[in-house]
Amino acid sequence: MRQLLMVRYGEIYLKGQNRPFFLNLLRQRLKKAVLPYGGVVTLSDGRYYVTNYSDEHATIQAIQKVFGVHSLCIAVEMSKESFEDIQNTAADMIDGYNGTFKVQSRRSDKRYSLTSPEINREIGAYILNRHPHLSVDVHNPDHVMSVEIRDHAYLYIKILSGPGGMPVGSNGKATLLLSAGIDSPVAGYLIAKRGVELSAVHFFSYPYTGERSKDKVIQLASKLSAYCCGMKLYIIPFTEIQMEIYQKSFSDHTTLIMRRFMMRLAERIALLDGAQALITGESIGQVASQTMEAIVCTDAVVNKPVFRPLIGFDKVDIIRLAEEIDTYETSCLPYEDCCTVFTPKHPVTRPKIERVLKAEAPLDIDALIDRAIKGVEVIEL
Amino acid sequence: MENTKSTKMNIAYFDNSATTRPTNEVIERVTQCIKEGYFNPAALYKPAFDIEQQINRCRNLIKSKISAEQVYFTSGGTEANNLAIFGSLKHKRQKGTILYSAGEHPSVVNACLELLNLGFKAQTIPYTVEGIIDLSSFEDLLSDDIQLVCIMHVNNETGAIQPLHEAVQLVRSKAPDAHIHVDGVQGFLRVPFNMRFFDINSYSLSGHKIHALKGIGALALSKGSKLSPILFGGNQENGLRSGTENVPGILSLLAAIENFPANPSMRSLKLQLYKRLKESIPTLSVNGPVPDSQQAAPHILNVSLPPVRSETMLHALEADNVYVGIGSACSSKKQRISTVLQSMGIDKTDAQSAIRISLGLLNTQVDADKLINSCVSAYDKLKHYVRR
Repeated sequence: MRQLLMVRYGEIYLKGQNRPFFLNLLRQRLKKAVLPYGGVVTLSDGRYYVTNYSDEHATIQAIQKVFGVHSLCIAVEMSKESFEDIQNTAADMIDGYNGTFKVQSRRSDKRYSLTSPEINREIGAYILNRHPHLSVDVHNPDHVMSVEIRDHAYLYIKILSGPGGMPVGSNGKATLLLSAGIDSPVAGYLIAKRGVELSAVHFFSYPYTGERSKDKVIQLASKLSAYCCGMKLYIIPFTEIQMEIYQKSFSDHTTLIMRRFMMRLAERIALLDGAQALITGESIGQVASQTMEAIVCTDAVVNKPVFRPLIGFDKVDIIRLAEEIDTYETSCLPYEDCCTVFTPKHPVTRPKIERVLKAEAPLDIDALIDRAIKGVEVIEL
Repeated sequence: MENTKSTKMNIAYFDNSATTRPTNEVIERVTQCIKEGYFNPAALYKPAFDIEQQINRCRNLIKSKISAEQVYFTSGGTEANNLAIFGSLKHKRQKGTILYSAGEHPSVVNACLELLNLGFKAQTIPYTVEGIIDLSSFEDLLSDDIQLVCIMHVNNETGAIQPLHEAVQLVRSKAPDAHIHVDGVQGFLRVPFNMRFFDINSYSLSGHKIHALKGIGALALSKGSKLSPILFGGNQENGLRSGTENVPGILSLLAAIENFPANPSMRSLKLQLYKRLKESIPTLSVNGPVPDSQQAAPHILNVSLPPVRSETMLHALEADNVYVGIGSACSSKKQRISTVLQSMGIDKTDAQSAIRISLGLLNTQVDADKLINSCVSAYDKLKHYVRR
């Protein structure tokens, strides 16, 4: 008899002939996640089993960040030969619980001497006998004692939810434009959840921002990285571009043109990094640079598709998600951001592409982009 | 002292009001203490007694420097201020009013605000535009209901020296029973102070602002001033501050005080910095008293360099290994302005572009040249970028 973690996968169930590819990928992701705690991952009979881990709490937390995992539970694995032992173990496990319960069994070993309803009945009666303060409620129980008869018997009570989604790496690679704000980490999370591997770019405006605000972005990227099985963060020096735009463009167009530069730079990084798409945290109408017209203008400078998973989200919904994935507090750290110098007081909200091109005309775009790319700092997370 | 002046990596460190670099004398004394003087000063054997003697040497040295009757070691300025504030009011039967000046350090302001929960009332003594307490407003606030008055001797952000003599005279005539506490963290050894002359009840100081270690400070008391403890334990420090003495800290303080020159050259270096910066940066304005006036501390110069924001200038200087302080950090969402500058009525643009240059014993002419070159060139580059 031993304790282990039983992990169930989600959407991979829907896969047909290529299911082994997804199952293998998820196993690799799980292995990497539990590696720091010495866990061993095996796949058997439609379940992953994690054994030999040192720190149960940390191992569970790590598994809860692996996309593709539907749920997991702390289970007792034991021989199925002695039904009396199984009954005994079930009664021991439910010791300390109060209220109502039911026993729910599954039998993938159809040769087992008892049927599922019989198992439920027998174990239920045994538990009631040992713990008379409990009562049975088969419709709406407080606790479910689950018993699975496979090559061994598996018993568990609590089921913890996983993050869902698809294993990272099963759906290509994309580059996330990561600011120090609330939205972009959430956007990255949502795309990664669909199995997309991420890299991130951050635009750094020294001396308008300093080491602490860079560290804030690194912290955010690290939090995302825990879900993404690692991530490269590209820090791009951006001050020269901002200064040039400030000096040479129409003041009401500076933010928009800055966004266009960010997209161009992100696409360059995506090309270097083998990413197929760009991701931003934009939500339509949230700020001047996120109106329909502005988004059309920023999209126009790149060839790669731009995914905006938050496009239809209200700010409150984005904040709720940021809290769920634990990036909200970091995003709200009040480190200095004096880039407002480059934000016009009255930005254009309905830009026209002709005027945008005119505003950009005095800038040596390629040279500025080349210089910025040369100064990139890469951080492996 | 000379050998400590060569700074690592050509750093020009001008944030000495935040903390100072320990001098070689301090480092040597502390190293020796950690290696050989690790005994508990309360023990009965001779090496422990020797340590106790050294602690008392430091205590007596502080007493003689400021004419204090008693000196108690604490973990720093914050604890010393808290001990003075809570300790002086603990035995008071009536819950009266506390006055504290507008530019007090958070360890005084927040301790006073905490007293509101205990039934006391608190009022702020306003500052003039130069950051000096407004004596006529102060007089209006005084009554025999006042139980505690807190005035920082030298303001940590502007370097303004407060008119203690006049202020104390007002307190003694209108609120004779009030305890007067002076936060001396920025003033100790750098601005002349005498507890007996000024008729002050308690005075706090901190080690790491004068090249000693962090984690050591002291509270000095005048004759007849009573305090109750706020920490309880083994009755060290005459029962007022329990806890085994921080011996390395105390000896670092001893070394720092013994080696602190009677006439440090900080004032002339500060005036030179001001003059040369003003010549090159026409928009420069001083926050606080006129730098060469008697009200200005020798080691703190707070200037605004509009339109360059404080943080931007700080980071630009940082690129050249020049470090200065700013009153507070800004954020694009919350435009926070230093409460001290705000209380002086400094205009928002000026307050947002304020930097604090604070000098210590180790600053050299080379440092000053480096600061000026770096600051002027950053200003010339950054001045063109203003939000429009």
